[in-house]
Amino acid sequence: MTSGERTDFLYPFIERDERDADALLVDLARSAAAKHAESSALRSATLSNQAEAVALVADAMAKRFRAGGSLFTFGNGGSATDAASVAALFATPPHGRPVPSRNLAEDPAILTALGNDVGFDLVFSRQLIAHAGRDDIALGISTSGGSRNVLTAMHEARGRGMLTIGLAGYGGGELARSLDVDHCLVVEAESVHRIQETQDALACAVWEAVQHRLEVADG
Amino acid sequence: MWCIAPEWPEHGRHVAVEFVHPVIMGKRALPSLSIEGVNAVARLRASVRPGDIVLAVASASEATVLDAMQRTPAWGATSIWIGHGARPAARSADHLLWSAEASELGRHDGSMVFAYHVLWELVHVCFEHPGLLDDAVACDDGEGACITCSDEARLAEVVSIVAPSLASVRTARGVEEIDTTLVDPVDPGDLVLIHGGVAITHVEAAS
Repeated sequence: MTSGERTDFLYPFIERDERDADALLVDLARSAAAKHAESSALRSATLSNQAEAVALVADAMAKRFRAGGSLFTFGNGGSATDAASVAALFATPPHGRPVPSRNLAEDPAILTALGNDVGFDLVFSRQLIAHAGRDDIALGISTSGGSRNVLTAMHEARGRGMLTIGLAGYGGGELARSLDVDHCLVVEAESVHRIQETQDALACAVWEAVQHRLEVADG
Repeated sequence: MWCIAPEWPEHGRHVAVEFVHPVIMGKRALPSLSIEGVNAVARLRASVRPGDIVLAVASASEATVLDAMQRTPAWGATSIWIGHGARPAARSADHLLWSAEASELGRHDGSMVFAYHVLWELVHVCFEHPGLLDDAVACDDGEGACITCSDEARLAEVVSIVAPSLASVRTARGVEEIDTTLVDPVDPGDLVLIHGGVAITHVEAAS
């Protein structure tokens, strides 16, 4: 076949072959490195611009823990697993003092019973009614700041005298504006993925600050 | 794709929900499930089919993950292991996505989450570039031969003993009957290397 002859109508797969896989893989690797830089930068910027808020949250949480309170975490989807991570960090920390903490988005029997019987908006608030009181802490995670069941649980928590803390992205949404929420830590970003990664880093910062306060109190 | 994270179940679930129900509207839902509980390897054995992926998020010393990763070639599955801190041995899985940071907070601080978020993002980029998905790319391992088409000894997991010195085994190609004279006795679940219809050696457990 002479050069310059068009073959793509005879061999429509050639264009596929000509997508240079090596070059694409180089691009993908570069893109992964760029994402990493973006994620790290967002984490450090957020930790620095939320430092005061983290300290206030830690003060308030340490007070409740010292009074014998428990932490209840909740969220949906990836935020449900982030809620699990936070609950595990407080209850089974790598060092320091374990404090009572549990994730309300964990048990499929409870979630499906409540979702089926009373509606998904109430899956967290109904559990707070069963478990929580005035010494306790509610930590709701929502990347959009608009998850209905998280907002409803915050309202219930406020009514029960709990400390209420939100973790949100996208400017904070309704969670940041809600009068039911004592403190809302906000990640200013537009990507759900980058928000979740940064929320995890914020939760770690809160945990470290709470530990520090509990250690000081323990002497 | 099957996800296991015995120490950190939240990560197995997060990977599963990420792929099944993407956060970006319009991206396709991909089959992904978190396998938990004390009998994870037995559940994987029952479920994994050739061409599947077994993805672990775990520390390098996690016994269930070491065991599962070692068996994936016999099940015909690709293995991916995400973790942080001390690294597992180089060939513990087909792909190691490892964060060198040994932070005690690595499980919690977003670095594991970042690894599988990027993995998800790149998978969807690959769907947009079908040239990357050709078998030719998958087979070009830089050493000339594709492991699945070469004539090397292959990993097999003993399914049952059919007759004296004859066992039914599972390999990437399916279920085969092999001669076990050289390695007897064998038990169901044992890993052996086979060549030309004969088991030539036992494989020691990684865990």
